[in-house]
Amino acid sequence: MMPLERWLIELLLNFVTREELNAFLRSPQNTAMLVGCLIAVSGALLGVFLLLRGMSLTSDAISHTVLLGIVVAFLLMTEVFGLHGDTSSPWLILGASLAGVGTVLLTEMLYRSGLVKQDAALGLAFPLLFAIAVILVSRYVEDAHLDEDAVLVGEIGLAWANTNSHCFANCESVTVAPDHEAAKFARQCNNCRELGISPRDERAVFSETCSNCGEYNPAQAWSAGLLEREPVLVFFPKSITVMLLLTLLTLGFVLVFFKELKLSTFDTGLAQALGFRPGALHYALMILVSLVAVGAFDAVGSILVIAFFIIPPAAAYLLTDRLAMMLLLSPLIGGVGAYYGYDLARGQLFSFIAVADGIAVLNRLFGLSLPEEWDSSISASMVLMIFILFLLAWALSPRYGLASTLIRRANRRRVFENQVVLAHIHNHQHTTAHDIELNVDHLHEHFRWTERKMSRVLTGLRALGYIRIIAGSAELTDRGDRQVHAFRKTMLEAHNIPDLP
Amino acid sequence: MWTAMPDRPEPPGMDRTSEFALSVDDLTVAYQEKPAIWDIDLEVPEGVLMGIVGPNGAGKSTLIKAVLNLIPRAAGTVSFYGKPYERARSLVGYVPQRGSVDWDFPTSVIDVVTMGLYGKLGWFRRPGKRERELALFALEQVGLVDFVDRQISQLSGGQQQRSFLARALVQDAQIYFMDEPFAAVDAVTENAIVDILQALNKRGKTVLVVHHDLQTVAQYFDWVTLLNVEVIATGPTAAVFTPENLRKTYGGQVASLNGGILAGAAGG
Repeated sequence: MMPLERWLIELLLNFVTREELNAFLRSPQNTAMLVGCLIAVSGALLGVFLLLRGMSLTSDAISHTVLLGIVVAFLLMTEVFGLHGDTSSPWLILGASLAGVGTVLLTEMLYRSGLVKQDAALGLAFPLLFAIAVILVSRYVEDAHLDEDAVLVGEIGLAWANTNSHCFANCESVTVAPDHEAAKFARQCNNCRELGISPRDERAVFSETCSNCGEYNPAQAWSAGLLEREPVLVFFPKSITVMLLLTLLTLGFVLVFFKELKLSTFDTGLAQALGFRPGALHYALMILVSLVAVGAFDAVGSILVIAFFIIPPAAAYLLTDRLAMMLLLSPLIGGVGAYYGYDLARGQLFSFIAVADGIAVLNRLFGLSLPEEWDSSISASMVLMIFILFLLAWALSPRYGLASTLIRRANRRRVFENQVVLAHIHNHQHTTAHDIELNVDHLHEHFRWTERKMSRVLTGLRALGYIRIIAGSAELTDRGDRQVHAFRKTMLEAHNIPDLP
Repeated sequence: MWTAMPDRPEPPGMDRTSEFALSVDDLTVAYQEKPAIWDIDLEVPEGVLMGIVGPNGAGKSTLIKAVLNLIPRAAGTVSFYGKPYERARSLVGYVPQRGSVDWDFPTSVIDVVTMGLYGKLGWFRRPGKRERELALFALEQVGLVDFVDRQISQLSGGQQQRSFLARALVQDAQIYFMDEPFAAVDAVTENAIVDILQALNKRGKTVLVVHHDLQTVAQYFDWVTLLNVEVIATGPTAAVFTPENLRKTYGGQVASLNGGILAGAAGG
């Protein structure tokens, strides 16, 4: 990962100065927004396929059970191999993706037993694995990078602080050994605790240890005051690298296997018959979901990450009926949501409405005394903002949205009412009873409509030039006559009803 | 080319040049030790239009899926023109049941039809202009040319079935497997589908159709397989679709069917 970061920094340094880059990366806001957007983009891309495969909640299961993979890999590293446990180590990531695939396998095994339904199988498998993970954490892992809070909402606001340092000039590493001039020593009682005595007791045995011996990379050496010349450093947040890699991996996967993913998602049987490997693609997808869930774990926790997988595709699904477009809109919605979600956490709705003002209005209206300053969880606000975007799509989508559905339904009803009245006039206008059947004052009685509704429909039909009213009796114009025939032709043809004479 | 099974000597007198479009040998599929199809032997000559008929749960769809390697086989071998499925993919077209996919999937009619060409394209290559033309031509053949860019959920059931048929047509296969293409379609669509099947058949293609309606078997198919877990009978419709065989296939159920079917069968 380090060489990749270095390459990226060198690339960026062609466009900005080192000071600007450091200033940008050391701002909690920039890093949080960047990481949030990357999580949203990668999650939203994968989420499209999860949604279309009817397995959105699998992301929920996986985002929890990756904890088991992380813990097991952590224990293996520290206890068995004696390595230093670091949550961004490739071993933890490998463990997590295995746990993700394991969850899917376990779920499928339970389901295939024929004894539990699919949703129940998922509900059985993942709490089990999660419970094992929690027990292992509480029993063996004291180093708290895996506490409950992190599991809930993550710490995206602190992502800027966890960095790799890269040195570009004056790079001097220092090794402090006990004979080094800067070495500091501390006296320590060796047997005080064992014997339960104070260090002043005469039985106490002391030894001297070097408290600051070890390897110092240039950044550490400079901050410990071991260097005379300041090294030229860039501090790069690890989360950005991890999420950037995962986003590129996801994007590459979706672009390269677009056709194969589409076919195997739409029609697994045909995909298999044509010699593609829907099973392999399925597990590749699950591995990617696990990887993104792990990558996002530090930043947004294992619960809120689900929202990044589910909400943007659900919104995109309402806005388009082409897969390619959905794959474009979904990450866009996720990214925009994450970006403005940060603002929301800091009290700005879409950067022009201050949340504080809204609360002030509430306070005035209802005599409340809610605190007006607004500073809330960043990850939760990102999820909230993505959901607000979903609501907008749900209400306003041109084809499937609430508003357009209501308008369309009202339109259809109006057209239908018009046609019913026109057909009635057509059927009766040349019969002997036409003065009874077509009397405009009594027409509503034949339909059992209210007088108001009938007069509204008649007014509309006259305005359209379909009917005229002669001596209190309705009759079709030529235009109206043509309309009746056209309607029959288009609407009733499917049912094989012959055209009128 | 006839490839003999290594563990089984070639039957004497077998004409080496004549080959079956499909040979199924001792095929058994079980769902948790309960056989869905049992020891199926089936030889389908090239160029027949065959109905696969049998009661519910007879294993008709299972037979097709097992033949196409979509579900694991407990035993048996299958070959297409003497080749195993892996080497005969390009010769085989498949129309699954309409209900087996989600029609709300965000895609267009022409896109679904183009999927039939994915096998020829192989991994990574994207469909282009040529593929679009082939798909348009297939849509023309099934009468859906006005629906090219329609979202698939906006099609009627019959139109959906026809788009599936177009998808099989673009595959330009030698042998087609169709799983209940007549399920829940109206009479007009059914006739249109039959026309397409017979046109395929005229061009020398072998077509196997899972079929439910005994009334139309004699009219639609020149070859028939009666299936009820085991193959009861297989051969030319006139010889095989007899009252005797139907009784064996359907057991007591056939007693309640009207005699017209059997009379029709005898006449067919």
